[in-house]
Parts: sequence; structure tokens; C-alpha cells
Amino acid sequence: MSEDTQTRVEFDEHGKRTTYDEIEVGKDLGSLEWVVGEEDIEKQCAIDEDFHPWFALDVQGNDSQGESNFWDGVIAPPQIHYRPPRWLLSRTYNIRGVFYKWDFENLKAIRPGEKIVVTGRILDKWIDRDREFMSYEAEGRDEAGDMVFRTTRVHVLDVIKRTAPREGAGRDSGIKQEKI
Amino acid sequence: MAIITKDTPVGTELPVFARRLRNEMFASGDVKTIHNDDDAAQREGLPRAVAVGPQVAALIFRMMRTCFEEGWIAGGKVALTFRRPVWSNDFATVRGVITEKQAEGDKTRMVCDVWIERADGEKAIVGTCSALVPGA
Repeated sequence: MSEDTQTRVEFDEHGKRTTYDEIEVGKDLGSLEWVVGEEDIEKQCAIDEDFHPWFALDVQGNDSQGESNFWDGVIAPPQIHYRPPRWLLSRTYNIRGVFYKWDFENLKAIRPGEKIVVTGRILDKWIDRDREFMSYEAEGRDEAGDMVFRTTRVHVLDVIKRTAPREGAGRDSGIKQEKI
Repeated sequence: MAIITKDTPVGTELPVFARRLRNEMFASGDVKTIHNDDDAAQREGLPRAVAVGPQVAALIFRMMRTCFEEGWIAGGKVALTFRRPVWSNDFATVRGVITEKQAEGDKTRMVCDVWIERADGEKAIVGTCSALVPGA
């Protein structure tokens, strides 16, 4: 498809896509409470094809798996914190686009059953090479108020240049079920 | 036990991990997405279905966890740029090299350049990661 015949998706199954002008820099994205389930840890390990005794309930307390007891119980792979900030963004804005930058810091191990409160806000938006970008930040804190992780992300709203009109339906949406 | 210590020299290459990606890894029930359906991807301006970025980046995290263990779980830092798509049926390889050591309290932060290559050799995801090791 040549560039002059391309269009940007206007809406998807979750309604109208958020436009660049609608994104409010500084906007508070609110908060969500997130509790990691044991099944979430299993699933994260499976989708990443990354298993370790620390992440496996089966070997907790098994002395032959001495490594498993380092954390005094099962923990989650740190990258399990990818999705909750994305859910938070999607509660306010319907952005599909593609992921461009991902920064984060793992500050504490994430444990099953632990409640983590995730908060976030829109940091910035800009245009570069005729593409529209937006950034947001989020952090997760445990019930003691300790920061468990923090993250900053950049999305490009559309792969197609902003000079292309918005019309028609996309099959995919940035809004997903809130589950790992 | 972590395989990298504070005495591991700058310039040391990290162990290589790789992963064969397949469309079905990115299934989302019956929902057609840019990650499992070429038409859905093309409507968004992509030539074909692309892998889920964080699932590909997980190769980097696997490498970092293997090298640094607990110093990655609590103390790991990441700054990644997704500069090219990785296709949903691609072959991804992660590589890394230690570039710097920084004192951080009674520990040392080991900073690494990391990147993921597609089957065609293109560096698709690039950035830095760091983790803590015991001893200053």
C-alpha cells in the first residue's frame, strides 16, 4: 500500500481511538489495586518460557532446591509488572499503537497474594518524523507503602504517518482484559 | 548463585539466549490482534504480525536473572528501545556485554549494553540493563 492511500484506524471494538489532541499531558491516570495470583506467576513463566525454582510453588520448602528458599517463599518474575500500568492507561485512553520505549526498575520482589497499588500519569507527548508519541509513568507500592517497581513508557500512536486520515475499523485494540 | 560478581571485568560478554517465536504464542482467545493476524497488523500499517514486545524482551530479563539472580529481582534497572519489529514467527537472540561498574552503597551496580537480534541479524530491541552484585 502506498503512503498516500494509507489511513489510520479510527475506531475498534472498544470504541473510538484516542487522538493525539485528546491526550492531556500531566493527567492523573488514577490507581488500581493489583494482587498477583499463583496462577499469574505460572502463566508469566510460561509465556516468557522462563522458569526458575524461585517462581515455582512446587519446590518451595524443598531443601534439595536450596535456591528456592532465598526469598522465604515463591516470588514472581519481575516483568510481571508490565501489564498493570498498561491497564491503567487503557482505562483512560484507547491507544493501540506500538511500544517504543520501556524503562523500569525492580525495587522489591513481587509475591503472590500481595496487594500492590499502581498509580500513573501522562508525562509528555510529541511529534517526530510525522509520528505521534506519548509517554507515561507508573509506580507500584505494596501495603507498607514501599515502592515495588516504577516504570516509564513511550508509545507511538500509529505506525502510519499523522498526515494520513483517520477512518475505518481496526481489528485490534490497546484495551485488553485485565489479566496476566 | 549469580554468575557475575563485582570482579567480573568490563567487556565480559553475557551468555546468549534465544527463542523461536510462533504465531500461536500470541493467541488471545479468538481475538485477532496485530500479534497474531497479518490483516489486523496491516490495518495498523505493519507489513505483518509482530511479536509482543515485552514477551521478546523477556529474553533480556532471562539473561539478566541468570547472570545476577537476586540483584536483578530487587535492584534491576532497564532502559529499552524497540527500534524495529520482531515478527511473530521470528527467531530472537539476546546478547549483552558489561560496560561499566558503579558503586552503590555496599554493592556494585553492573551496567550492561543489551540487544535482541532478529533472524536476519537486525538489532530490534536495544538498550541498557543493570543489576546489583554484593561488595563495593
